[in-house]
Amino acid sequence: MNHQYALRCSGLTKRFNGKAAVDNLDLEVPAGQVFGLLGPNGSGKTTTIRMVLGIYARDGGEVETLGSADPLGVRDRLGYLPEDRGLYPKMKVAEQLTFLGAIRGLSQREAKQRADAWLERLGLGDRAKSDTNELSKGMQQKIQFAASVLHDPELLVLDEPFTGLDPINTRLLKDLIIEQRDKGTTVVLSTHRMDQVEQMCESICLIHEGHAVLAGALSEIKASYGESSVSIEYEGEAGSLQGLAGVREVRDSGRTASLLLENTAASQDVLRQLVDRVRVRSFKLAEPSIEDIFLDKVGYVAPVDGNHGDAGNNGAVAP
Amino acid sequence: MNPAKVIAIARREYIARVRSKGFIITTLMVPGMMALYAVIVPMMTRADIDELRITVIDAGTGIGGALKTRLEGIESLPIEMQETENVRESEVEVVRQRFSDAVRSEEIDGYIVLTPDQQTLARSQYYARETGNILITETLESAVETTILENWFAGEELERLRAVQRAGMETITVSASGEERGGFLVAYISTTILGMLLYITVLMHGQQMAMAIVEEKNSRLVELIIGAVTATEYMVGKVVGVLGTGLTQLSIWLAMVAITILGILPGLAMGAAVAEFDLANVLDARTLAYFSIFFFLGYIMYTAMFAAIGATCDNVQELQQAMIPAIMPVVMAFMSTFYIMTNPNSFASQVLSFFPYFTPLTMFARVNVAEPPLWEVWLGIILLIATAGFTVWVAAKVFRATILFHGKRPSLAELFRMARAAS
Repeated sequence: MNHQYALRCSGLTKRFNGKAAVDNLDLEVPAGQVFGLLGPNGSGKTTTIRMVLGIYARDGGEVETLGSADPLGVRDRLGYLPEDRGLYPKMKVAEQLTFLGAIRGLSQREAKQRADAWLERLGLGDRAKSDTNELSKGMQQKIQFAASVLHDPELLVLDEPFTGLDPINTRLLKDLIIEQRDKGTTVVLSTHRMDQVEQMCESICLIHEGHAVLAGALSEIKASYGESSVSIEYEGEAGSLQGLAGVREVRDSGRTASLLLENTAASQDVLRQLVDRVRVRSFKLAEPSIEDIFLDKVGYVAPVDGNHGDAGNNGAVAP
Repeated sequence: MNPAKVIAIARREYIARVRSKGFIITTLMVPGMMALYAVIVPMMTRADIDELRITVIDAGTGIGGALKTRLEGIESLPIEMQETENVRESEVEVVRQRFSDAVRSEEIDGYIVLTPDQQTLARSQYYARETGNILITETLESAVETTILENWFAGEELERLRAVQRAGMETITVSASGEERGGFLVAYISTTILGMLLYITVLMHGQQMAMAIVEEKNSRLVELIIGAVTATEYMVGKVVGVLGTGLTQLSIWLAMVAITILGILPGLAMGAAVAEFDLANVLDARTLAYFSIFFFLGYIMYTAMFAAIGATCDNVQELQQAMIPAIMPVVMAFMSTFYIMTNPNSFASQVLSFFPYFTPLTMFARVNVAEPPLWEVWLGIILLIATAGFTVWVAAKVFRATILFHGKRPSLAELFRMARAAS
């Protein structure tokens, strides 16, 4: 694989009943990275994934998956963890894994060996002969992950992989994903959890209402947003952060807040104003978080709240 | 199509089907039911006539006593004989009134009147409330005849007479390919049994497979599968898996029959119901060869229909309704075999056997009962092959177009459009 991109698409479009779920979307996933496909629920992430994997026919646009214009032609080199998890409830765990490996092109024997090895790795060796529905949700999710990588895919697509996992299993899954990347697998991580993206992804694409609103290397995106944000810890009256000069927007969490600065504003001026109003416990110039960038990009506006007064917005609420 | 993937899908489906409770239950139940049908049912029909109370009125033939003794000795019918009434011929009508009243008031079930006859020694009449049971009337008639004959013959001649009566008559069907012992009854039974095997296995496993497909859609497993194999591989795998299930079940049943023939389980013998019934006759090579052809083709055709229907449905309730078009041809074909068996070469039978969605059962019935011209049989088989192929092809298209479809079930017109788009 000498392609620079594991996955590319341009003008990708899918309509359901005439309404575009994915609208003219461009996507470039560099090979060998963990790539974050970000977006709120219903933004078109899953539909995009289904199209690039060849599960859905697209209504428009071009796809190049692992260098092939037909994703189905390279299906044995793709791994997929769907958002709606599904396993055969009455099937034995080891048989299930073997089956899912075999339909990705492994021989029955090879699939069986790898299934057993993975079960051992995940600490589920003793459950190999259990019916799948006897396993806890977390265990089933680990099985499902194993199924998606059993055949050593070159491109691994994980749709909301952390949903419903406890912290220990979340940690384990992160390690497993990074391990895949270290082996050279390109990982597409679809999620609405911004914190995970910050931790794991090198590049992202932010989808909103079927459009890509932001794409590129995470570091570049953050740099372009510059020092335009300040995070503080404070004690003071509710609403006392409103109306600061040079502050574009306030995300007030009560005890902490992040202040998005206007491009020309100097952080020192803001600090000076703050000291007059509240007791500042900490003041930190911050890179904007992905969450801030995301909310900024999709035009999120905080709901009107009597205690906080009007911060100059018109009270519209994003979905 | 990647054969390894088809096998992987088929293998999973096969294991799931064979391990299901339904499979185990039917595998055991069907032979059990047939044994019941063969052994218990005749016993029950015999037991139905509990104690037939009969009086013989002898108007001077002199054989009344002998007839009474003979009737008492019949094992297949439990008869309780009243004292024989010896009357003069002129009194018969008067006495008869009295006995008819007794029949009406259910003191007795019937009576036989013997009146002297120059030629035949005696003429007999049977008066009873129920005269429809052929088993009873035939038994009584033959008892009267035998009594008369035995009255005439004695010694060695009597022995010879009895031997003749035991010999009975054998039925042999003459056909173009040869002669077949057993005749209609054997063909009737083998057609019913084998037809029922196809009927039960295809309906049961086809429906279960359709249900499994709906479950795969609901659990979104289908996304994983369709991401990994083509819709056609998926469907063909399913059909092959279900075919394997049917063949496994059939082999188990045939093995049971073989064991029965070998006499290891003589008590289970299906033929016990019918005198002179030989299982080896029922399952001759020709019947089995045709059965294999029709079972194989019919099974694939019907199963493909179930698979396509399963793909179009989103929940089990919806599926129940939607499966009717696949169930109907199987049921109707099976029902029409009963007509065909009695009229194998009528025009209606010909039409029924050439309609491909009926052919697996209807043509098999014709072939088994009569011997229709070979060209007719093979025309039916060729039409069936073409239709089965066409059905699989259409089913694969519908399957591909609808397998990921969620929401309202597509109308027939929409299905056609989707199928065209998918090609």
